[in-house]
Amino acid sequence: MTVTNLSPSLISTLPGEHYTDPEVFRLEQERIFEAMWFCVARASELARPGSYRTCQVGRESVLISRARDGSVKAFLNICRHRGAKLCTQETGEVKRAFQCPYHAWTYGLDGKLVAAPNLTSMPDIDRTEYGLVTVHVREWLGYVWVCLAETPPSFEDEVMGAVAQRLGSTEAIANYGIEGLEVGRRITYDVQANWKLIIENFMECYHCATIHPELTEVLPEFADGFAAQYYVGHGAAFGEDVEGFTLGGGEGLDRIPGVDEEQDRRYYAITVRPQVFINLVPDHVIFHRMFPMAHDRTLVECDWLYLPHVTENGKDVEHSVELFHRVNQQDFDACERTQPAMSSRAYAKGGVLVPSEHHIGEFHTWHQNRLAHRAH
Amino acid sequence: MITVCRIEDLPPGESIRVTDGVPAPVAVFHTEDGEVYAIDDTCTHQDASLADGWLEGCFVECPLHTAFFDLRTGRPTCPPAKYAVRTHQVSVENGQVLLRIGVAEPA
Repeated sequence: MTVTNLSPSLISTLPGEHYTDPEVFRLEQERIFEAMWFCVARASELARPGSYRTCQVGRESVLISRARDGSVKAFLNICRHRGAKLCTQETGEVKRAFQCPYHAWTYGLDGKLVAAPNLTSMPDIDRTEYGLVTVHVREWLGYVWVCLAETPPSFEDEVMGAVAQRLGSTEAIANYGIEGLEVGRRITYDVQANWKLIIENFMECYHCATIHPELTEVLPEFADGFAAQYYVGHGAAFGEDVEGFTLGGGEGLDRIPGVDEEQDRRYYAITVRPQVFINLVPDHVIFHRMFPMAHDRTLVECDWLYLPHVTENGKDVEHSVELFHRVNQQDFDACERTQPAMSSRAYAKGGVLVPSEHHIGEFHTWHQNRLAHRAH
Repeated sequence: MITVCRIEDLPPGESIRVTDGVPAPVAVFHTEDGEVYAIDDTCTHQDASLADGWLEGCFVECPLHTAFFDLRTGRPTCPPAKYAVRTHQVSVENGQVLLRIGVAEPA
């Protein structure tokens, strides 16, 4: 990454091949996505015992489900017998057990092997040892987080710590009561771009005045090019004549009760590495989870979260959804425009970051350090 | 006559697989209504233990392919099982679950 003759204002980005090389992506799967806490689903998606969801985490398919005792469990979605994928649907509900569609090995909601053809004539088979492989699981902010590492890193340090570091305190996010909000809208974006382009885009606002006219109208300071994430504990102020975080700046919904005066009429943004972005505004929360699928493809699930009475009464959330949906489309269009150029010889040594983007350099350093060390 | 276990060791909703002293494994069930039933343990469709199955009222669902057997008659109520399992006499005396293996053919 050594680039010579760089103007003092500029620092270099990663070289283009980091966005195009499947081998780099494989290392990222192993040393980042399979090694860190990874946010997979809204806990309320697992409404009842037997509700399940499958998703891609690194190279693995992970099965998340609610057990009889109400707890959330996570397993590798693989039959212990001959390795067939256990649940082939993305979401669903089983009555009592997960059954492999190949030889009918059958696992309880706690992952234990319950039954299999001829199992009684193999009494030496330990039903726990040959149960599903469990994955570490945590619930926070109403989301299910998993970690595929044998010994996970500290959730408090890596996940909660990242949020506290950006907001300047651990209490700041608690004010929004995110675990008690409900999903008013979910939009899934299938983005043909490397996941790092999406993170980098989210971290800076140098592009805001150019591609986000609607957002800049609501948050005028974004026209200066400095993202809320450039600072610690900084919320971008709403424009003076702006009533709410909506398309056009019209009136929003009821303020979340815990949000304090300092947080009112402000927009906060947080990146929790490696795949979560959280936006906080007084009346709702926008929660993005990325699922990197290939070196040039990333699924992004975005939830708009509201107070329960807003969703229950069928209040119109369209104006608030539409604002950030447009921002997402504008961002992902930019990422998709960038991805093919990553293999151009013009980008072989990478590009440059201007001062308002310099904090992205810290993300690149972090990325290089993760890839340099084997996952533990 | 076989002493299976003490009734408090077989709470309502539970089942036990008996292999000692019987020609073929037997499943004994204690239903939520407090009744105790015994049937052949092996599903007539494919080798699976019905004691590992799911008890619903006085029926048990095979854990493998959801064949549903009536514990009172041994008859399956739905495919894929076509043949009945044998039922056996079972009683609770002095707190003990007692099993008498019948020689009768399946119903």
